[in-house]
Amino acid sequence: MSLDATLLTRLLKKDVSAFEQLYERHSRLVYGLVLRILQQAATSEEVVQDVFLQLWRNAGQYDAARGPFVPWLLTMARNRALDHLRRKSERQRRLEEQTDHLPSVFASPNYEQALDEKRKAERVRALMASLAPQQKRAIELAYFEGMSHTEIAAALREPLGTVKSWIRSGLLRLKEGLQQAKA
Amino acid sequence: MNSTDQFRELIEAYALGALDADERAQLEAHLAAGCAECAKALEEARWLVSQLAYTAPEAEPSEMLKGRLMKTVRAEAGAAGGGPGTGSGGAGVAGTGMQAGSAKGAIPFWMWAAVAALLLFSVYSTWNMRRMELQIREANDRAATLLAERQKMQDRLVMAKKETMIMMDPASHKIALWGEHAHPETLEAKWHAEWGLCVEGEKVPMPAKNHVLQVWFIPKGEGAKPMPSMTVTPDASGKLMLLISNPPEQMDNTKAIAITEEPMGGSGWPTMPILWSGNVT
Repeated sequence: MSLDATLLTRLLKKDVSAFEQLYERHSRLVYGLVLRILQQAATSEEVVQDVFLQLWRNAGQYDAARGPFVPWLLTMARNRALDHLRRKSERQRRLEEQTDHLPSVFASPNYEQALDEKRKAERVRALMASLAPQQKRAIELAYFEGMSHTEIAAALREPLGTVKSWIRSGLLRLKEGLQQAKA
Repeated sequence: MNSTDQFRELIEAYALGALDADERAQLEAHLAAGCAECAKALEEARWLVSQLAYTAPEAEPSEMLKGRLMKTVRAEAGAAGGGPGTGSGGAGVAGTGMQAGSAKGAIPFWMWAAVAALLLFSVYSTWNMRRMELQIREANDRAATLLAERQKMQDRLVMAKKETMIMMDPASHKIALWGEHAHPETLEAKWHAEWGLCVEGEKVPMPAKNHVLQVWFIPKGEGAKPMPSMTVTPDASGKLMLLISNPPEQMDNTKAIAITEEPMGGSGWPTMPILWSGNVT
């Protein structure tokens, strides 16, 4: 059982110390993601606070047997941040149904556990940097700004089909790169 | 390409949230129909998309954020009866402190500890202040005693110098004091016009208990009243030394000097027989 899984088990028993350790382990990653989306420190801290309070109050909705904790936490943080962004801009209504605050479980590939957080971050950044600038930009607009294919195409002034292809091929390349890292 | 293959191509974009409304609705319908392959692909795609978070620069949230969070969590844990009682054995110190500090209506442990520390500090400060006052008082007393002893020694030194000068100065007038009755010892007195009268003797018997030896100046003229002067007690070896710095201004009018034994403190009039006497020449 991983340390996160152990801490989450204790969190179910309302162990404040376990919560504090989880916060210490993951708050920088979560805050960095939210800040990247919202670009505003005070608002980002509000969102991060909501995320961790949600974790404290609803830890039981996370099932460790069905996937790793960190992707689940990051998805929850991203959804919260995009919610906030959407409330400000009234944009991207299509994501409303997806942004339930407790994300679905993840079936992580078996190489997920092989990389520690730091190495994983370096690997993902390197793989993203290896993409063509426009391809990378298209994925970033979707992930960090919650844009749809059509909105990205308009923003980049590229054909819709090209944008769809960039995004899918870019994600598959990322997947392959992470699989190679395992190997 | 079958429908599963068509939808399979949308899975990553769906996980990313990039699908437009119509494609999203179609895919969700397909998933709702129970396509296990797409469902599995979606779970993996969600994990893959979550990895994009690592491309965001890491940033440090403020300590205030953690403070706010922990305050809320501790309060909720306390209200729910959480903490060490319901938490795991590894709840640790933080968990213990949290519960004690957040129970509704209870004074936090740290506040009790702070009050206790303050009381202890106050008691210690008071005790220390008293102790220092006593030490200062004792030091002052010791200094006063030393000063008094020093003054006494200086006085004795001055007297000894005067006695020496009186006894040694050729200008001094010698007065032999002869013992009466059971006091055969001879005392010697010397008078100096400037420094006074000095009386000394050896092996002088100790006066009775609560009695002293007193010097009298006997004026010239019939029936003149003896003038009382200083009292003295010989030391344990019987040595006697007395300096009278203020003898009668007109020693010329003094016929004789006498010594009697008188009650402690001296008398205004001789109450006992004369023990020694000598004429002033």
